[in-house]
Amino acid sequence: MEYWVFMWAYIFSGGLPPIEEVVRDYTSLAYGSLIIISLSAAATAICNELIYSSKSIKFVTKYTRFSPLRFLAENFASCFIVLLIISAVMFVSIIGLFCYKFGMLILPQNATGLIATSLLSAIFLYAFSAFLSLLLVVLKAPKSASFISFVPLILSFLAYGSLWVDFKILAYISPLNCITALCYHFFSGKQPVTGAFLMLNKGDFMDVSFLASSLIAWTISLFILVVVLLRKIKGIGIEEIRLV
Amino acid sequence: MIIAENLEVSYRHSQEPVLKNVNATFDSKSLVLGPNGSGKTTLFRAVCGLTNITSGRILIDDLDVEEIYAKTGVLAVNFPEVLSLLSIKVHDLIELYADLTDGDSSIAYKILTDLGLTDKILRSKRLRELSAGQLKAVCTAIALSMKAKHVLLDEPFEQLDPARKHVLIKYLASYDGIIILNTHETWLLRKLIGWNVFFMFEGALYGSVHVEDLLKARISLKDEPKALIRMKVSGRPISLVKGRKGKPILSLESLDKVYELALEMEKT
Repeated sequence: MEYWVFMWAYIFSGGLPPIEEVVRDYTSLAYGSLIIISLSAAATAICNELIYSSKSIKFVTKYTRFSPLRFLAENFASCFIVLLIISAVMFVSIIGLFCYKFGMLILPQNATGLIATSLLSAIFLYAFSAFLSLLLVVLKAPKSASFISFVPLILSFLAYGSLWVDFKILAYISPLNCITALCYHFFSGKQPVTGAFLMLNKGDFMDVSFLASSLIAWTISLFILVVVLLRKIKGIGIEEIRLV
Repeated sequence: MIIAENLEVSYRHSQEPVLKNVNATFDSKSLVLGPNGSGKTTLFRAVCGLTNITSGRILIDDLDVEEIYAKTGVLAVNFPEVLSLLSIKVHDLIELYADLTDGDSSIAYKILTDLGLTDKILRSKRLRELSAGQLKAVCTAIALSMKAKHVLLDEPFEQLDPARKHVLIKYLASYDGIIILNTHETWLLRKLIGWNVFFMFEGALYGSVHVEDLLKARISLKDEPKALIRMKVSGRPISLVKGRKGKPILSLESLDKVYELALEMEKT
């Protein structure tokens, strides 16, 4: 991911005037876009971990002190810490490298809002990856294991497209677009748009409370589904995944 | 006590069931003898709740297996895929399962030391880095260290050399709980006096019969009304009978040879 931070700082920024407002806008976009890709890459690893250990998960939630809810809580806690560390690393590297490149320290306009968005993003991406992997296990579809684990990353690159494409109403429905827009809003202090951030004809302005509500609704819904699926899984053997 | 009632398991709806109307009560140490591919491992998976049951049910101490959650001391198993929860060193994995199940890790270390696995190996290797024999030994030791009332051991002697097989048998014989062990090897019958034996062929479970009776029994390729057990193998009747007719079961070494025997006896 540091490669992309470098690209944003030194390659994509060609011709960017060294004006604080412009650099702030650019830095906000970089953070909003790169945070979803870096968190989604980690979500891919979470998917793989849950798919490959699904038989163990089933066993430990039945015949050890781990109830399904306790397993979920402990697994979430460990993954959440990793996702937060990734968010922090991205934040520090973007601020640091952009400061070095542009000669000005750009800090978020609303640090509390940005921290809250980062926390919510980490919770959402855990719930999303857990949902995808448990669904695959319940549907007994080992053939799709590789594809499913990459779904968060694929969707994050689609959301990355909002830099050039106006997603219109979809920007409210897509949780990854919501994360980008919220990060942009709290970092820059400006109202986010539905897409085409880098184009002359930008999308319509978005309502931040709707964005936050959409992301929270997605997260809660996915967590409920994860709890249901966790009780339904039977597990997929590693051999079944390798054989197909 | 584990009870299987009218149990049927299919991996796909269109496929023939892997387990066919299995009815059994496991209330003491038991062996499930059957050739490779007969459904023994699937039966264990169903008992653990690791496979979809098409029809029927499994009760463990009167509780439906589907309803059991977060109960320690009920069931342990030696499936490597079940025990590889985290990619950590074997030593840490033993401690983890002992902690999660209120088990006793010293039991696992004692068994593994006797089986020739040094502390250095346990502290330096992960499950996936072990040889097939070491993997089986470690998983069996972890299962026994969970101190569960019921322990399912899937082919625990596979890949072990004869000396280590005898060491492991000692631990199984002295275990304070219900062990259900599946294997296709018949040689260990002599060592497991007092155990019950079930036979499994082509997804159907037959039995049980005491080891002592089985040691005196012979295999007949006829449907004998007074047989200890009457089975069907590839559509042919097979009976285990007392007396001098037929071939002693111990002479088969492995139950895979039942099919060869059936062909031989058909020719003669």
